[in-house]
Amino acid sequence: MYTETYLEGGQSPASSKAPASASSILVADCGTVLTKVSLLGLVEGQYRLMARGEAPTTTAAPYQDITKGIIQAINEIEFITGRHFVSNGSLISPEQPTGDGADLFVATVSAGGPMRLIVLGAVTLKLEELAAQAVSGLYAETYALPAPSYLATSMPAPLPVGAGAMASAGGGMQGRWTPERLDMEWERQLARVRELQPHAALIVGQADGAAGPTPLQEACQMIVNTVEELSNGSAPTTRGNAGKRQLPVLYAGAPQYVEAVRRMLDGYAEVTRVETLVSQEQLGPTSMAATALYERDVIQRIPGYDHVRSWSGAAPIATPSSLSSLVRFLAQHYAMNVTAVDVGGTTTTVMMAGEHGEFIPLVNTGIGMGPSLGAILEKAGPRRVARWLPFRITDDELRQHVLNRMLHPQTIPTSLRDLQIGQAFAREAIVLTVEAAKQQHFNEFDADLILATGGVLAHAPKFGQAALILLDALQPRGVTSMVLDRTMLISQLGAVATVAPIAAVQVNENDAVMHRLGTCVIPYGELPPGQVAIRVGVEYSNGRQVTAEVMSGSIEIIPLHINEQALLTLYPAPTVDVGLGQGERARAAEEVDGGLVGLIIDARGRPLVFPTDETERYARLLQWMQVIGA
Amino acid sequence: MVARSLKCRGDLHGRPGCEMWATLVVARIRDREGNRDGCSAGGGKTMTYPLGWPVVTQSLMQRERWPGDYNSRGVPLVRPGQEVQADQAVMLLEKPDIAEAATGFPHAVSPSASYAGLSPSSEGAQIDCRYMQETVLAGMRGQVVDITHRGGVIIETRAAVIQGVIGAGNQVAGVLTVWNAGSSFPLPGNRPAEAGAILVIPGPLNYATLRQATGAGIVGVVASSISSRDLEDFLRANVIALINSNDVERAQAHLPSITLLFTEGLGTIAMPARTINLLRRYHGSIALLSGATSIRRSIFPELVISLAAREVQHNWRPVQPDPTLTIGSRVRICSGSHEGVTGEINYFFTHQQTFESDIRGRAAHLSLEDGSSLVIALAIIERIG
Repeated sequence: MYTETYLEGGQSPASSKAPASASSILVADCGTVLTKVSLLGLVEGQYRLMARGEAPTTTAAPYQDITKGIIQAINEIEFITGRHFVSNGSLISPEQPTGDGADLFVATVSAGGPMRLIVLGAVTLKLEELAAQAVSGLYAETYALPAPSYLATSMPAPLPVGAGAMASAGGGMQGRWTPERLDMEWERQLARVRELQPHAALIVGQADGAAGPTPLQEACQMIVNTVEELSNGSAPTTRGNAGKRQLPVLYAGAPQYVEAVRRMLDGYAEVTRVETLVSQEQLGPTSMAATALYERDVIQRIPGYDHVRSWSGAAPIATPSSLSSLVRFLAQHYAMNVTAVDVGGTTTTVMMAGEHGEFIPLVNTGIGMGPSLGAILEKAGPRRVARWLPFRITDDELRQHVLNRMLHPQTIPTSLRDLQIGQAFAREAIVLTVEAAKQQHFNEFDADLILATGGVLAHAPKFGQAALILLDALQPRGVTSMVLDRTMLISQLGAVATVAPIAAVQVNENDAVMHRLGTCVIPYGELPPGQVAIRVGVEYSNGRQVTAEVMSGSIEIIPLHINEQALLTLYPAPTVDVGLGQGERARAAEEVDGGLVGLIIDARGRPLVFPTDETERYARLLQWMQVIGA
Repeated sequence: MVARSLKCRGDLHGRPGCEMWATLVVARIRDREGNRDGCSAGGGKTMTYPLGWPVVTQSLMQRERWPGDYNSRGVPLVRPGQEVQADQAVMLLEKPDIAEAATGFPHAVSPSASYAGLSPSSEGAQIDCRYMQETVLAGMRGQVVDITHRGGVIIETRAAVIQGVIGAGNQVAGVLTVWNAGSSFPLPGNRPAEAGAILVIPGPLNYATLRQATGAGIVGVVASSISSRDLEDFLRANVIALINSNDVERAQAHLPSITLLFTEGLGTIAMPARTINLLRRYHGSIALLSGATSIRRSIFPELVISLAAREVQHNWRPVQPDPTLTIGSRVRICSGSHEGVTGEINYFFTHQQTFESDIRGRAAHLSLEDGSSLVIALAIIERIG
């Protein structure tokens, strides 16, 4: 867990010293599948969202230029507003007296795919975990390839180590290490590198083990081979070695060998030294160096990047970096625990920020609703996906759905069945991401506010559907509230804040979080089957009082509309908890807000348990959906 | 030279305790160096482009002729600047003979091991103790523009191209052979095509037909669609993992030797008349078929049919595909209950429309080929012409 506190007057989006002088701002979010552009403008002295446009992202052929998708999305805004923002393929800026053009352009980028980082050297399980944590807030994937000499000296009888280090070695690998076996391991790792085609490498580990500095030496040799592999192959011979690209390397290994490593990798790698990675104390420098690599070696290599860069005074930044800025700001500004969920086409992000500066970012690359849908099915399995569906579905139908969606990620579900299948996958995407956070030993904390965004949630036709997805997948406890970002703006507001902080704050309050789903009361503990789990007393602002008894295993909605407030009194059953201990009555000190769904009482229990009988499960799911308006 | 450069650089500090490991590593690198020409990083992205439209009747393009994998190495038989014919041998492909290496006994080259089957591959096949050599035909008519590090031959050609939605298998060259719907397939002793043919089946394909095609020695099949179950059963592979692979060559390495291209994708979707007509027009021509599909790397299967010299001379009108949706665009529905249906856009709705799922989105009004009309979400149509 990181602890990064905003300093008032420092980096906080709300406290930037830059004055907001722009009267119009175009904000682009270039995702893997879709590019979304929003126009922010001044309305009666307040920044508001004025129009949005969306178009397929155009980084791949036949366009191979990210600006094409941005311009197509801007064209949609032009159609809506009647203003012109693009002329001859370039942005009109500043805003003209005619109303055409925009003063500022800001972009966040998640297209370009994740950065693949190989972790080399004497990679212990702990170091592998630390490396994964260091990039957990980035679009990045780590692959540990412990040096063969380290494996041989640290485990005489070979056992699986690291991310599938020996997984493909087969049964024949049991026994003693021999030169032949080391060769096999070396070849296996080379094949893995060939398959991964890494963007960068991270060298870790000390030289004080039985293998001495040899793991570091082998790491260098692996990098040399990698560069040779990446430079040859299908490249035309007439280009010679002109196209040879040096592999960026972060060196977080034994400090006394940094110069030797530099010498060995001369001509093959650009070595950046970071603090030796030993414990969580050094995560910050490694994380910052990895972020810089990502921006330089992934974002800046996206086709058309230079053109986009020329439109803006600020460089496009990675979408998770922007989201993390906003989430941490909200947590600190409102002194509450905030959980943000963003389910995208290729990535699912869950970020948790605490009021005391705690921060857990988890960017689950390769888990998403578009080209990465297959990974959800592979990791969760068809049964886990199908458990959320109130109808029978075969494994074949699920696979066919996944394959069609992977091949046509830009499509939307036009039938109810397709919609529900997609929403079932969204639940599992979030579940897998939370599980990944737990695997990295992040201690999650109860959220006071859940902020949700991403296509599958933002485009959910009914607010109840979005609410139920979040309740099912995150399974929050106690009392929380949920907000849906239908504008898909929250991921960009952190970037907006870097150039126009006032605009970021005002748009956040006026537009991005305007779809307040409602306050949720989620009793947990031992809910008595077939009996009342909790009694809820509601005292509306106008003095009207309502009391509701909610049975275990059910969801109830108490009307509490948007812009309405009420005081709650909670009377849990003796074995049930609402955050103050079993059976402890709770009375809110402040009024809670209503929302588009209402006051949600989710007494289904934690963890959520489904009836084993299929027919009963369908009935239960349909009942929950009906109650919440899904 | 990797090993040499490393040896010059020396160890990290030359401690005696490291000597054994250092020696081992250098030995491994020497082995790699020996095979270096046959290794690649799985490139091909620059050579394989998804097109704007699934069918492009005339286009100038460059493709690398490379049917091998990491362990193969190519020995070019042509040089840059040279004009080549589609049935001309352009490369000797050397592939490690794993079976022979394991048994120590030489064995004959199986017909399925020959890529094209059009050349005197049996005569041309030479067996040494480690490599099996195959002659590779150009598959395209045009000019050699470059040779790649691994020995692949880059040819510039004027061609008709069909891009598939999904496929599998390495690049193969063969004679385009359209199967007639009237005849049963395949009739014993009456094969629809000789070995070395790329068979075109205008309708959906199934597992049984694919197995029969394999038995008939066909090098490739172009069909409209197939169920995901049948495809996975035939390939004996997880198709989700296959198309999600970053390393295309490695992913293709263990598939059956027959190369597949499905113009419409998964399910039971018919082939559009326009595609069938184009394929019929080039029946008997030599074509180049690639089945590799990687959504991570934007690689999709394609069939390249080089145009005849006469057609290029008298009727060369290259097409610049533009996927932008406009009124009058011919489009194909790529998802939902109308998947595979084609039509023409005659109206864009100003306001978002609501669909059966209650999702709202921008929409267009389509005139379908059968005369009916449909309101459809823009998100589920793709331009085909």
